[in-house]
Amino acid sequence: MKKIALSLLVISSFLTSCSSDDDSNNLEQQIETPATYSFERDGASTVDFNGQSTRIAMAGELTSALKIETNTEAQLDGMFAHVEGNDDFSEASLNASDKDIRSKVAASRDYFSSNATLSNAIKSDFDLWIADQANNVFSNWNTIATAGNAGQLQQAGGGAVRYINAKGFEINQLVAKGLIGGLMTDQILNNYLSPSVLDEGSNIEDNNSDVVVTGKSYTNMEHKWDEAFGYLYGAELDASMPVLGADSFLNEYLDRLEADDDFAGIAQTVFNAFKLGRAAIVAKDYDLRDAQANIIKENLSKVSAVRAVHYLQAGKVKLNEGDMASAFHQLSEGFGFIYSLQFTRQPNSSNPYFTNAEVMDYIAELSEGNGFWDVTPETLDMISEDIAARFNFTVEAAN
Amino acid sequence: MIKKIVLSVFAIALMVACSKSDDSGSGSQSDGFDRQAMLTNWADNIIIPAFQDLNSKLLTLKTDKDTFLATPNLTNLDVLRASWLEAYKTWQYVEMFDIGKAEELNYADQMNIYPTSVTLIQNNITTGEYDLSNPNLNAAVGFPAVDYMLYGLANNNTDILTTYNNAANAQYLSDLVDQMQSLTAIVLNDWTTGYRNVFVNSTANTATSSTNKLTNDFIYYYEKGLRANKFGIPAGVFSTTTFNDKVEAFYNKEVSKVLSQEALKAVQNFFVGISYNTSVNGDSFSSYLNYLNTIKNGEDLNELINNQFNIAEGKIQQLDNNFSQQVETDNTKMLQTYDELQKAVVLLKVDMVQAMNISVDFIDADGD
Repeated sequence: MKKIALSLLVISSFLTSCSSDDDSNNLEQQIETPATYSFERDGASTVDFNGQSTRIAMAGELTSALKIETNTEAQLDGMFAHVEGNDDFSEASLNASDKDIRSKVAASRDYFSSNATLSNAIKSDFDLWIADQANNVFSNWNTIATAGNAGQLQQAGGGAVRYINAKGFEINQLVAKGLIGGLMTDQILNNYLSPSVLDEGSNIEDNNSDVVVTGKSYTNMEHKWDEAFGYLYGAELDASMPVLGADSFLNEYLDRLEADDDFAGIAQTVFNAFKLGRAAIVAKDYDLRDAQANIIKENLSKVSAVRAVHYLQAGKVKLNEGDMASAFHQLSEGFGFIYSLQFTRQPNSSNPYFTNAEVMDYIAELSEGNGFWDVTPETLDMISEDIAARFNFTVEAAN
Repeated sequence: MIKKIVLSVFAIALMVACSKSDDSGSGSQSDGFDRQAMLTNWADNIIIPAFQDLNSKLLTLKTDKDTFLATPNLTNLDVLRASWLEAYKTWQYVEMFDIGKAEELNYADQMNIYPTSVTLIQNNITTGEYDLSNPNLNAAVGFPAVDYMLYGLANNNTDILTTYNNAANAQYLSDLVDQMQSLTAIVLNDWTTGYRNVFVNSTANTATSSTNKLTNDFIYYYEKGLRANKFGIPAGVFSTTTFNDKVEAFYNKEVSKVLSQEALKAVQNFFVGISYNTSVNGDSFSSYLNYLNTIKNGEDLNELINNQFNIAEGKIQQLDNNFSQQVETDNTKMLQTYDELQKAVVLLKVDMVQAMNISVDFIDADGD
């Protein structure tokens, strides 16, 4: 009897030592999802994403500045492509920063490192939107917009005044919602959560042996994962326990999906995947890490899709009511989210849900002729149905 | 007793299972490929002959420079310019070998940093006090500085000839060329008098062994020296604007394309293991990959890489001789060339090195 007990003890101790080294053959998942996004090494936090917080703050100032008609194109360009030390922002720390937004737009490793041609074309779209706002919308700030002419329009019932370009596009919405895809989604899904970045160089070896980056408390791989995390939660007061609604970008619109009964639970799913994936890196379990990355890819991609359909449908309703200012506002948000679809990522795939070419076809349809002034409900429904079908939800669910 | 045996067998089995699941990633196991044969081919048939040829072309450059400075006329200037171009083309075959004495001397930094700094050059000429090997003067020496001295000192040939009435200009040109030749002779001499044996006998798979170091050098050169410097930077891939002045041989204005074609050819020849200036090939990355029989997406990695080089070469062919001009008139073509070059980076830096179990010691630092 003693022998049996002994042998069980020996066996179990071997099994334990075995499985703790093993990354793929776990019979049961041993890594638990942490309660908060807090990770430490030798008593010091290993979590850092200040570069992401900085860029979110820069993007926030840029989109606000697009609504101030006294700004020049050069000032707006300076905010978009900030140069360290330039006096572009109201916040001194942003001016001192060596970060900028433009270089990170359409700049993920997986999609753009060998497609500088497309990366440049996308950056140019943002440049052109900004130029259009500064040169055509600002100069017609006090004229009433008509089909083919930039200016202002007031929403029905004495509502908000919307400032639009010749095609009825509210450009600050194109930029803001375009950045959700071109900056945040692309950087998270196609750059920092990609094995091509996480496993680059000697990252795996270093992480396996807890070799930290010189002068830092984190390993390179841990940091890359945190940088993905930072593009979603970087504006949170306490990102270890996010409350959402902390910025007007991806964080805000994940919150909007959460508030919709059809998508409720998505915020926790994403947060859990970020926590467990990070814990998996600490535990050197890269299969588990990549499984969490796939969960994040699927769910964050959905944000742009659901919001695109939502705004196209809301715009359609307002068009029917004849409230052009409201309609154009909604459709402009939809335009930005459609633009963002090219940066989504299907899990277990190297492809977006919609290619650049498909997105540009939609953009062309929405821009045709006088743009939103003559867009038809049929067009809006057709695009909505396409998007919803590919993401496997219904147009009604997105309403 | 039987139980004990069973137990111990079981325990041993567990230990074996344990250690088996543990030994991946040690990185030092031999894959059986004859690295020494590859290193020997590299050293004897590619690296040393290329350095010999460069040294001899620089000696010609030196002679032609002396002739020109003795009699600064247009004929002699043309001869000198032609020798500069020949040496510059040959340089494209050695820039990637940043190992041994070259690494120790920061040789490449003293030979081909561009854009060259007119301010630094003019300052040197004016003061006459300079140590050309000083790292602070890397942007005032080497082929790009000579490019400026031969094509950029004035707006036309007559005026350029006139500038050489100034003894300080003549002296600077002379010093530049002498320095390039003397550095090259040092590097070459080191290879032929001892380093060659050190190099070919360092056959292990460790971070400091020859194959690993040169593989890193090769990929770094491809990514930085060729892809970024010759194409990406002028095309504005890393910035908000293009830079028509950051091209190789900016002052000559007609040879950035031919230099880049030589560079890509040098890369591909090295990859395939072709002996310098011949069509004979020996052991190389290419044969190493064939040996490992590496399959990526059902295709042969060696073939994928070669095809990608060929595609990039096809893109370069469509560019203007003058990259400065190309960037201004149709930058998309530059970007497309960059993209095709970049596609090979992934194949080399991820797929090839993983197949060979070599770790890359640099990353394309663009994080936060």
